[in-house]
Amino acid sequence: MRSFFLLLFVALTAVITTIPAIGVLLGNDFSLTINGGETLGPMLLQIDPLSAWFMIIINITLVNGAIYGSGYMNAYENRRQDLNLHWFMFVLFHISMLLVCMLRNGFVFLIVWEIMTLSSLMLVLFDHDKANTLKAGLNYLVQMHLGVAFLSIAFIWVFVATGSVGFNSITIFLQNNKAYWVIALFFLGFGIKAGFVPLHTWLPYAHPAAPSHVSGVMSGVIVKMGIYGILRIATQISHHVLTIGVLFLLISAVTTLYGILNASVHRDFKKMLAFCTTENIGIVGMGIGMALIGKGIEKPSLMVLGYSAALLHTLNHSLYKSLLFFSAGNVYLKTHTRNMENLGGLIRHMPHTALIFLIGALAISGLPPLNGFISKFLIYSGFIETFQSKNTGLIALMILCTTILSMAGGVSMLTFTKAFGTIFLGVPRADIHRQPGEVAFLMRLPLYFIVLLMLAIGILPQLVLIPVYSVIESFGSVVPAHALPTAGETLTLVGRSSLLLIALVAVLLMIRKAIGRDRILNTSPTWGCGYVAPKPAMQYTGKSFSKSLAKLFGFITMENKKYDELEKASVFPAPRSYASYYLEFFETRIIEPLVRRFLGLFNYFTFIHNGKIQFYVLYGFFFVLLLIILSFINII
Amino acid sequence: MRVLSLVLILLTSLFFTGIIIRTKSILSGRKGPGIMQPMKDILRSLRKSSVFSETTSLIFQLAPTVYLATILMAILFIPFGNDKGVISFNGDFVFFAYVLALGKFFMIIAALDTGSSFEGMGASREALYSMLVEPAFFILMGSFALLTGYTSFAGIFGALHFGSYISYGIGILASFVFITIALIENSRLPVDDPKTHLELTMVHEVMILDNSGFDLGLILYATNLKFAMYGAIIANFFLTPGYEWYYSIPIFTAVQLVFAVIVGTIESFSARFRMNHNPQFILMFTSISLLIFLGVLLMTGKII
Repeated sequence: MRSFFLLLFVALTAVITTIPAIGVLLGNDFSLTINGGETLGPMLLQIDPLSAWFMIIINITLVNGAIYGSGYMNAYENRRQDLNLHWFMFVLFHISMLLVCMLRNGFVFLIVWEIMTLSSLMLVLFDHDKANTLKAGLNYLVQMHLGVAFLSIAFIWVFVATGSVGFNSITIFLQNNKAYWVIALFFLGFGIKAGFVPLHTWLPYAHPAAPSHVSGVMSGVIVKMGIYGILRIATQISHHVLTIGVLFLLISAVTTLYGILNASVHRDFKKMLAFCTTENIGIVGMGIGMALIGKGIEKPSLMVLGYSAALLHTLNHSLYKSLLFFSAGNVYLKTHTRNMENLGGLIRHMPHTALIFLIGALAISGLPPLNGFISKFLIYSGFIETFQSKNTGLIALMILCTTILSMAGGVSMLTFTKAFGTIFLGVPRADIHRQPGEVAFLMRLPLYFIVLLMLAIGILPQLVLIPVYSVIESFGSVVPAHALPTAGETLTLVGRSSLLLIALVAVLLMIRKAIGRDRILNTSPTWGCGYVAPKPAMQYTGKSFSKSLAKLFGFITMENKKYDELEKASVFPAPRSYASYYLEFFETRIIEPLVRRFLGLFNYFTFIHNGKIQFYVLYGFFFVLLLIILSFINII
Repeated sequence: MRVLSLVLILLTSLFFTGIIIRTKSILSGRKGPGIMQPMKDILRSLRKSSVFSETTSLIFQLAPTVYLATILMAILFIPFGNDKGVISFNGDFVFFAYVLALGKFFMIIAALDTGSSFEGMGASREALYSMLVEPAFFILMGSFALLTGYTSFAGIFGALHFGSYISYGIGILASFVFITIALIENSRLPVDDPKTHLELTMVHEVMILDNSGFDLGLILYATNLKFAMYGAIIANFFLTPGYEWYYSIPIFTAVQLVFAVIVGTIESFSARFRMNHNPQFILMFTSISLLIFLGVLLMTGKII
């Protein structure tokens, strides 16, 4: 019953908001002014093509998430009150995200942004009796508020400079001022949400802690709200666009490689997926950086390629990442472990989940014929196109980024062969108490839907370009018509090639089947290379699969081992323990030492918060006194 | 004649491994098998029935077919001089690289499907090496895109006319890089030894330990095809401009022959590297392709 109302509500919200969004993409206008009374003033709700694009992404992901989640949460049916809160927050989260896309008033935007953060925090904290979840939630809360602090300063800055809190004033402000600091503040604030390196450290904690449908939704859309914000600002920059673009491209390239390298070593499959989100945000960022460079060197075709890659990858990533998180959720639901080293052979028990995960893995590795390839292809096309530029520095930068993107592709192939191979193939590596079975049809339904969408984008990419172009046209800068259609023609051919590939595989499979029809099929144990007593524990583990890569990049993915050295006397066999886990570079080498220094510094100020209320009242008094003095001598 | 390169590559693939083996046997003073022996072996495998491991699933049966399909698909992009390949569009070499990666993806998970520790080891190495070799290919193709101003295989190879001394140097360097890319991708010496007897030191061979019958035949033939495909790319560096087939086809055949002989010679006179030296060796080719990139920058006058 509860889940029925949830579904109804989410679906209604989605339909109500998708209709005007599609209308806007088709060329209509939509705006609505709500009077917010004395404090807030008139609030403008407006859907422009950029908001429409993100609203559609939000609605697709959230509806799928709600359907999947209502199945997923069946296992927690006995926690009625928690569930009520959870679903209420889910609806609030949905609405606040849609509002974030529509609002054009800075202060109200910040309030709704905050509602979005808090409601998602409540969603993460569903398992609030676990210490790890609480810790991850706290981490998320603090980091998000750092972001809000940056954003608030930026909005106040613009307000002080222009006297208005509307988004239009940001445009005017950025046109008339160089305002590096404001741009930096906006990028920092939105960048924390999006998870650009080194602001990504909340992601690998929050995603595994949340229930799977929430991780899917968070990774699918909430980080995209950061991208939305960045796009809002980036499209308005009009001074030193080239420099900003180059810096942005470099940061995104680092994010891409760093994210995927960390993803490759982790054995908690939800943590692995979380790091993968960082990688994909990097790819989106590469598109944005490229577009800025295109604007900077006045090459509209590059700008169009960059923005379309960024927008398309945002959609693609939200599709396959939610797909992967949902199917990972199926695994967790049936086996109650997130450690892939305990799993194996699940394809026998959960064939649908396995195939869906495989399709998601192919898509996220950017392989044809699925949608991930399309956006990667657009980014490569942009890099190659820049080779015609006169600027040697740019050419070198593009070669660097091509190298990084191709390496990231290779590493993500390694990551996902490892994940799929370890979780679903082989034989179980540890005893699972209950025989896992396939999940309910209701939970698989959204997954099939996403798979269909992904295939459609992979085969007919030129159709998706139509709305993407109408978004790009709304970015203000004039896009000459001749810059637009070339990518469309190429993508048509890419789509046809993908279709041909599928057909080729199908034909070859049919031939194989026809030939093999009257042949004897024998089965026997796996060839053990002469060894006749193989055990499941002898299989290659996920750890060993990525070990050589991790050693190669040991400065980014640092391995920590815990074990007792064998002593001289300990010649007799006894149970021993050995643990190894990976640490990431930015968190252990940069952020943690920094935080430790700060804490050390703040220790000297502990006398201020001594727990005595009298003192706190005194502080208030001092503050008022200070204000009086300052206004007396005309400083404020 | 867009199918010309496809037909030629399919034809070459029938002899390629045979020539390698023949070269090796001549160089080591053995009588050796005939040139058609590898194809005969493949045909015999194709006629046999298969044994499947009890551990394996659908993936294992799917993978060899997908592998062959991706290589056939990749071949469709290879041009023949000024004749375009069957499919050609701007940036098609990106599709080429990723479609080959798709085949590898399936071979890797098929190896993991058997649950054998040895096959997992091979799969891990294959994934690592193909990750490391990817940048070299992209930098190389990027350099040629920079040099010619085209971004498709057909455009690039159609526009490559050798003019200056640097361009000869670049052509030779590029062929060198492509030969090694082909060796690495096909798991030959010095990265991997197809004739080794110890599973611990294998890469590709150990991944297909459990394949048999028709599937094994498909995989073996796919290897031949892959060699002929890389040979065709290398041959494209040396084809004459224009459409004179009476020059181009002999040049193509000669280049493929020389390529096969070079592979055979390398395999006769070198030993396999230690496993932990392989990443260094493969990354070296990324730096050589960077050299080519610098050379191209020099030629196009982007830097003095």
